[in-house]
Amino acid sequence: MKDIESFQADNRNSDMVAIEINNLTKRFGNFTAIDGLTLTVKYGEIFGLLGPNGSGKTTTINIVSGLSKPTYGQVIVLGHDIMKNTRSVHAALGAVPQETSLYEELSAWTNMSVHADLYRVGGAHRDKRITEMLNLVQLYERKDSRVSTFSGGMKRRLALARALLHDPQLLYLDEPTLGVDVQSRRAIWDYILDVKQDKGKTVLLTTNYLEEANALCDRIAIIDHGKLVVLDTPAELKRRYCDTVMEIETASSASSQLLVQLRNIPGISQVAQDDKILKVAMSGNDLSATGKIITLVTQESNIRRIAQREPNLEEIFLSLTGTGLRD
Amino acid sequence: MKTSFASHIRVIWAMAVKDIQSSLTERAFMLTSIIIPINFLLLFLLFALTGGQAPTAVVLEDKGPYAQQLLSAMEHSHSFIIQQTTASNAQNLMQKGQIVAIVTVPASFDAALEHGKEIELPVVVNNLDVDFTNDIRRAVPLAITSFYANAFPNQVVVRAHEVDTYFQDTGYIQYIVVSLMVVSIMLGGLLQAGSNAAREYEKGTIKELILAPANPLAIQVGKILGALVLSSSSVVVMIIVIVFLIGVWPLHWEELVGFVLLLMVTFVAAGTLIGTLIRRRQAVIPLSIGLSIPIFFISGAFGPAIWGDPVTAAIAQLQPIYYGIAIFQHAFHNFTTTSTGPGVDEFILIGFAAAMVAISAIALGSSRGRGVTH
Repeated sequence: MKDIESFQADNRNSDMVAIEINNLTKRFGNFTAIDGLTLTVKYGEIFGLLGPNGSGKTTTINIVSGLSKPTYGQVIVLGHDIMKNTRSVHAALGAVPQETSLYEELSAWTNMSVHADLYRVGGAHRDKRITEMLNLVQLYERKDSRVSTFSGGMKRRLALARALLHDPQLLYLDEPTLGVDVQSRRAIWDYILDVKQDKGKTVLLTTNYLEEANALCDRIAIIDHGKLVVLDTPAELKRRYCDTVMEIETASSASSQLLVQLRNIPGISQVAQDDKILKVAMSGNDLSATGKIITLVTQESNIRRIAQREPNLEEIFLSLTGTGLRD
Repeated sequence: MKTSFASHIRVIWAMAVKDIQSSLTERAFMLTSIIIPINFLLLFLLFALTGGQAPTAVVLEDKGPYAQQLLSAMEHSHSFIIQQTTASNAQNLMQKGQIVAIVTVPASFDAALEHGKEIELPVVVNNLDVDFTNDIRRAVPLAITSFYANAFPNQVVVRAHEVDTYFQDTGYIQYIVVSLMVVSIMLGGLLQAGSNAAREYEKGTIKELILAPANPLAIQVGKILGALVLSSSSVVVMIIVIVFLIGVWPLHWEELVGFVLLLMVTFVAAGTLIGTLIRRRQAVIPLSIGLSIPIFFISGAFGPAIWGDPVTAAIAQLQPIYYGIAIFQHAFHNFTTTSTGPGVDEFILIGFAAAMVAISAIALGSSRGRGVTH
């Protein structure tokens, strides 16, 4: 097998595979956490693993990073079988675990310094690199503060800086903005996008936030009960579900007869009702369908508000798995 | 994956410094790791000081010279804590449970001896504890024999001619305090290193170590080095207490320094292994204490373990503390308490230390497959 550096040289800016997961299965006793999962992550992309709690996202990422062993199947990371050459993969992997794994009783600088020694970032380059990474996440001014005094968002940013310190080719982020305020979330998204665009890294992330997956990911794999439900780009996933969602707020709830009539209109893929709000998924740009919908609804009730928008991933997820993301 | 020696050294140093810094921020845990071993030493020392001799009241109804000589013989027998008192007070002390026995020297004691008459010494024994009861049963006749040999040397013609193996006699306290030092080093090492290793799992920082490309052996050696530095403070205090307060002076200082280091490495490595396997500081503390006490009792703390029954002696020889006590008794008193001798004991301990370091590295490496969160 090739070493990591030659793999990187061969595959930079190409369509080659950074992570290859084949028939991955993980069982804990009688419980199957991952069930024959097969997927690939391309070099230089941001790849999102989505799924409800307990769907197998973290178990998958733990196996990919060598923290856990599969029951069956194979995981090839940057050209290496993770089970056979774990340390070589670790040298090229930057990890931001869900709980950050920072030494909270120590300063930000000491955390970075320990990481530098563990990952052989040495010489005169070392302090410069730590400074650079702390500046990147805007924490240099707080370098001597104990991490325990940091907010959740600051800890996530520091964990990200630490993961990037040894210039890894592959970055894994487990729920990178879990419990982080909106402002910090946006900042973390910017850093992740920068990692991909400016530095050409491959990023594997798990998330519960569809908005996050939509904003960051080139491709998304939705997994549920340890199985791959769908894998595609966010845009293609939306297109598969429908082109447009029409939201109509009415004065009274729609009757079941109206719902049947709406579903029978050509080009309508789904009709759902949430109290007094009707959500109608439409394929194509047939204006006559829009007219028919409005006519049918106004025959039964007054329309208070009407809006058209793109479908969101929550709706896609629901239609694919029959369950919401926050189970 | 090829890694330079210098990068291993950097990992070792980083881990040691990081663990020392982390421990210094958790003063309660650090104090616990220092105080418990010292406390252990002092408590057992008090037990040894008070537990060996039977508190006994002597009622002298005859004040003659022979009666005084008998009292003196009892006082020098190393078996009694003598309290001379009246008959009524002695009864009172016995009823309160404050004494084990009352020995009454009758009013006619001196006169009867001078006339060669048989004398009965009334001995009242509180026989609720057979250990103390048997002490009295053995020690009173011995004291009488000793008295007789001194009072009537011409009549006692059989005497033991003692030839000593060692040039000095060593008291019970002087012997046991060395064993106590060994068990305290064991306890301190297990507590400090076990806490340091378990903290990584408790706080979730173990992922940082497991995901690093660093060699697990270098990581564990660094953690062992950190724990060695941290536990050295309690060892220094123990040496000060033993040498300067109790007055047990080592005959071979250079051996003592080397053996202290060897034992610390052995038990700090064992603590690192325990912490890596158990992953909880709350479990490490009781387990360390729970392991130390029985191992202390069977490993020759009170006298050479090979003098005991063969099964206990065989079990003792599986424990590093058995060899630790042996080499420390040599450093302090020049004693040889094992059949193997101090030179071989030293090598066996080096083997134990190397095995503990290696197994703790394997345990850390195998954390990858077992998962790292609870």
